[in-house]
Amino acid sequence: MHLISERIAVDDYEDAMELVFARGWTDGLPVVLPTARRVEALIAHVGRDAQESLGPVPPRGGEATIEKLAINAVMGGCRPEHFPVVLAAMEALLDPAHNLNGVSQTTHMCVPLVIVNGPIARELGFNSRDGVFGNGYRANAAVGRGVRLALWNLGGAVPWDTDKATLSHPGEYAFCIAEEEEDNPWLPLHVERGCAPGSDAVTVFACEGPHSVFCYGTPEEMLHVLTDSLCALGNNNIHVLGQTLVTLNPLNAEEFARRGWTKQDVRQYLWEHARRPLAEVRACGVIHDQFRRMERDAGRYPLRYDLDNPTTRVPVTPRPEDIHIVVAGGRSYFAAVLPGWGGFGGFAVTRPVRRAR
Amino acid sequence: MEILSPVWPAPAVAPARKRRPRGLQGATIALVDDNLDIPFTTHLEELLSTRFGVRVRRLVKPSGTAPSPKDLIEDAGAGADAAVVGIGL
Repeated sequence: MHLISERIAVDDYEDAMELVFARGWTDGLPVVLPTARRVEALIAHVGRDAQESLGPVPPRGGEATIEKLAINAVMGGCRPEHFPVVLAAMEALLDPAHNLNGVSQTTHMCVPLVIVNGPIARELGFNSRDGVFGNGYRANAAVGRGVRLALWNLGGAVPWDTDKATLSHPGEYAFCIAEEEEDNPWLPLHVERGCAPGSDAVTVFACEGPHSVFCYGTPEEMLHVLTDSLCALGNNNIHVLGQTLVTLNPLNAEEFARRGWTKQDVRQYLWEHARRPLAEVRACGVIHDQFRRMERDAGRYPLRYDLDNPTTRVPVTPRPEDIHIVVAGGRSYFAAVLPGWGGFGGFAVTRPVRRAR
Repeated sequence: MEILSPVWPAPAVAPARKRRPRGLQGATIALVDDNLDIPFTTHLEELLSTRFGVRVRRLVKPSGTAPSPKDLIEDAGAGADAAVVGIGL
């Protein structure tokens, strides 16, 4: 296999690791050393031309060639079988609809979350249950970090340079979950988004870290607390719409389904009730109002909401389908909301996982 | 042992740059309004004009969170001595 990346000779493991830090090739954590043997194994697994490019990675514009993505995936801890999932995530991130250029450079704290669906999630050991946003699972960690390192090394999304996040969040190291599909009464996310049942897919959505929602009881009680959590005044969504993500645990979903609520019923209810009067929203300040008007001028804020009437009840997304619902986590008392960036971008994009040939 | 570089190589030849203007007095500056902090941008426009004698060409991006359209970049490059870009929040 012919690889064209620069090769750097080093005396030993310690020197190699220090070189990786000295050249700024890592995010602050150690990496798996990208030797040619490891990188070739990933490329061979997917059977694609090493120099095929998925496109330039914004903001710096390094080409996402299969070779460069494999190097970064190795550094993140990926085995060959993880690499198709990394490639699907990168294809989704590079879709213009996601606006990765803005996501990587905004002062907001959103980070693209990678959501894995389909049989491949179970086969590769992705966690979709207890502690789903946390640590402990190689597949979540390696795919999540492989993607992040590609954005770091090819996109140049580096905090002292182009990444202007005011606070950011720990998902900058790795932010990858799988949806729980077995203990789930509803259609999985990727099927809702047009993929065939039983297929493998990745969805990316740029969002804040998970906000805990103490969510237990009847559907009406769970919806009461979820609606309040979704429309907090600190979230971008209540000001400039966009998309948001609700993560229900399997017990929540089971309770909804047992009482006859479909996922669409839940979504519709949340969209209709997670609202605030404009007077409360405008009390946050002039700049929020300015953003809202910019979004309206850009055609991303529906004109049906009268922004001059303080009694107008504004929603958190322009349409019900912009509230994404994923089932994941343990069977317990907690759900989560993960607000998005607002109408500026970071929107959900789904891509199929192309299995190894 | 050998390891492979994870970064995309920098271009061998740096892109051409305009010569920096000798001063602001009488210079034409393209002020690219990111459509985000409009009062700040307006204040900057006034300062450049009244305090430094700059001829300001204000160009407005359709969205402050996506790259400028190609024609806006070309307009800023061709019609001004320098440009102010990246006014974010």
